[in-house]
Amino acid sequence: MSTPMIPRERAEFSAIVDRPPLKLPGKARIVFWTIVNYEVWDIAKPMARQILPAPTGVPLMPDVVHWGFHEYGMRVGCWRFFELFKRLGIKPTLAANARICEDYPRVAEQARDDGWEFMGHAYEQGPIHKEPDQAAMINRTMDIMEKFCGKRPVGWLGPGLTQTLETPELLVEAGVKYIGDWVYDDEPTVIKTAKGPLVTLPYTIELNDIPMMIIQHHESDYLLKRTIDQFDRLYAESESRAKFVALAIHPYISGQPHRIKYLEAIYDYVNKHDGVLHWNGEQILDWYTQTTKAAR
Amino acid sequence: MTFPKPSVGMLPNDRLDYSAITTRKPLKLPGGARMVVWTVTNVEEWDPTQTMPRTVLTPPAGGSPMPDIPNWCWHEYGNRVGFWRLLQVYDEFKIPGVMNINGVAVDAFPDIVKACAERNWEFIGHGYTQRNMQKVENERADIRKCIEVLERATGKKPRGWLGPGLTETWETPDILAEEGYDYVADWVLDDQPVWMKTRGKPILNIPYTQECNDVAMMLIQHHKASEFYERAMDQFEQIYKDAKGSARVMAISVHPYIMGAPHRAKYFRKIYEKIRKKKDVLFWTGAQIADWFAKVGPKP
Repeated sequence: MSTPMIPRERAEFSAIVDRPPLKLPGKARIVFWTIVNYEVWDIAKPMARQILPAPTGVPLMPDVVHWGFHEYGMRVGCWRFFELFKRLGIKPTLAANARICEDYPRVAEQARDDGWEFMGHAYEQGPIHKEPDQAAMINRTMDIMEKFCGKRPVGWLGPGLTQTLETPELLVEAGVKYIGDWVYDDEPTVIKTAKGPLVTLPYTIELNDIPMMIIQHHESDYLLKRTIDQFDRLYAESESRAKFVALAIHPYISGQPHRIKYLEAIYDYVNKHDGVLHWNGEQILDWYTQTTKAAR
Repeated sequence: MTFPKPSVGMLPNDRLDYSAITTRKPLKLPGGARMVVWTVTNVEEWDPTQTMPRTVLTPPAGGSPMPDIPNWCWHEYGNRVGFWRLLQVYDEFKIPGVMNINGVAVDAFPDIVKACAERNWEFIGHGYTQRNMQKVENERADIRKCIEVLERATGKKPRGWLGPGLTETWETPDILAEEGYDYVADWVLDDQPVWMKTRGKPILNIPYTQECNDVAMMLIQHHKASEFYERAMDQFEQIYKDAKGSARVMAISVHPYIMGAPHRAKYFRKIYEKIRKKKDVLFWTGAQIADWFAKVGPKP
C-alpha cells in the first residue's frame, strides 16, 4: 500500500476571502446544524469521559460512577432532547455508535421514527487509533445502521473526531459521502482520497458541550452565551456568503436538568432571525453537491 | 543567594540586575503620550506528523492519538478563516501589526504574508517550527533560517524575536544578538524595555505578556470569551494610571485560531474600539518601541 496522505496533501491551503461566496436557496443565509451524539460506553473498558476522579486518583475498573453518568443521558437526558426537537420540528443529525441499535433499541427507534439523520460514529465509543481492524469496524457500523434505518448513512464522525491517516480512504470505500472530523473551515470543502473525493462539513469543537463543559468546566449558561456570540458573528457575515453554525450536544451533558433550559433558549434566540435553515448533514451535503456541480 | 551557573550561556540575573521600576529615571514618549500598546499576532504551522502543540479536545478515554486530525484542523481554521477577522480589526482601527510567525508558516500561508506585507507590518522571528527551543536540534541554525525566510518573503531582516511558547535555552539571547536581532520579547518581567547582557553586544527586551494572551486565558485557564476584553481593559486602565510620570508598555497577544473564532472576535474588537480613542496612547510595532527606547532610555 502506498504511503497515506497527510492533511495538507488532501487539501491545499485556501483562504476563505479568496473563494467565491456560496449561496443558499431563496432568502436563506445561514444553516443551523444540530448534531446529537448517542454513544455506548462499555463497562468492561475505561470510560470515555470522567467528571469525578476517584479518591487518590487511581483509575477505576469497573468505573461504575462514569458508566452511570453516561447512562443517565440514555435513560433520562435524551428524552429532553426528543421532546425539544419534536416541538420545534427539527430533525437533527444523530452521530451514533452503531451499537445503540443493539443496546438501546428504544432510543434508536425513537430517533429513526422522528426522522433524524443517522450518521456513522463507530461501533462503540473509543479512539479509532485503537481499532485492530478499522475497515471492518467502519463497514460493520455502516451495515448495522443501514439495516436498522433501511438506508445507508452518508455521514461519518470519528469518536472524539479521531482519524488515522488511512481513515478517509476507508470511509469512502464504505460509502461515506461526508465527514465532520475536519473542523478547519466555515464552509464545506472537498478533500482528496485515493478512492475519490470526500466532502467535509463544518462541524464544531467550539460549540460542543464536551470541550466546554467537561474539559473547560464552563458554567451551564455559557453554552447559550457562546452560541449567541458565534451565531451573531456568523449571521452578520452571512450577508455576503452562506454560513453554518454547528452545535454538538450529548444527552449526559446538555440533557442534565440544570443545563437543558440553556439549550432550549438557544433555539428561541436563533429562531427569532430571518433566513435561518435548520438542516441536517445530509441536507447540507445535497445542497452543496448541487451548488458545486452547477458551478463547474 | 547564588545558583550554579550553566556551562554555556548565562543565568537571568547575570544578564540584568534587579531594578525597581519606581527608582528609574522617567521615560518620556513623544508628544506627551503616556503609554504604548503593541499587538502581536502569532501565526504558526502545526506539523500533522507531530503531537499538536495545544488541544481543545482530548480523545475518548484519554491519550494522545497520532495523527491528531481534529486538533490540527482546529488550528488550521485560524489561518483559513480566523486571521481575516482579526485583520478587519487592525484595518478598521489602524493598528500597526506585528506578525510573529514560524519560518515554515511563511511558505505555508502566502496569502497571510502578502496581506501583512502590503500593510507594512513588522515580521518577527518565532522559531522555524512551533517547537520548544530546547528541543530544536540546532538552535543557531533555526534562528538563522527564520532570518533567511523572512528576508526572502518581505525584503527585510527581522529585528525582533519571540520564541515558540517563549521558550529559551541559557544561550538564546547570546545567539540572537550574534545573529543580528535587536530585541527579544521572551522575558515577561517588566512594564518597560530593559537591556540584557549577552556575551557579545547587549540585546533589548520589550514587555510582552502572558496575562493578556489568548493561549493562557482561553486554552489553559478556560475563561469565557468576554474575559479577554475585561482583562485587557483592567490591564490597560492600570498601566495608563501607572504611566503618569514615566512611560510604560502594554502588550496584547492573539492567535487567529483562538480570538479569530466567530464567538470570540467581537471581544477582541471591543478592546480597540475603547482604547483607540485615547489621544495620549501610541500604537506601535516592536521595532518602533526599540528605536524609541534606544534613543531616550538608559544606555546599556
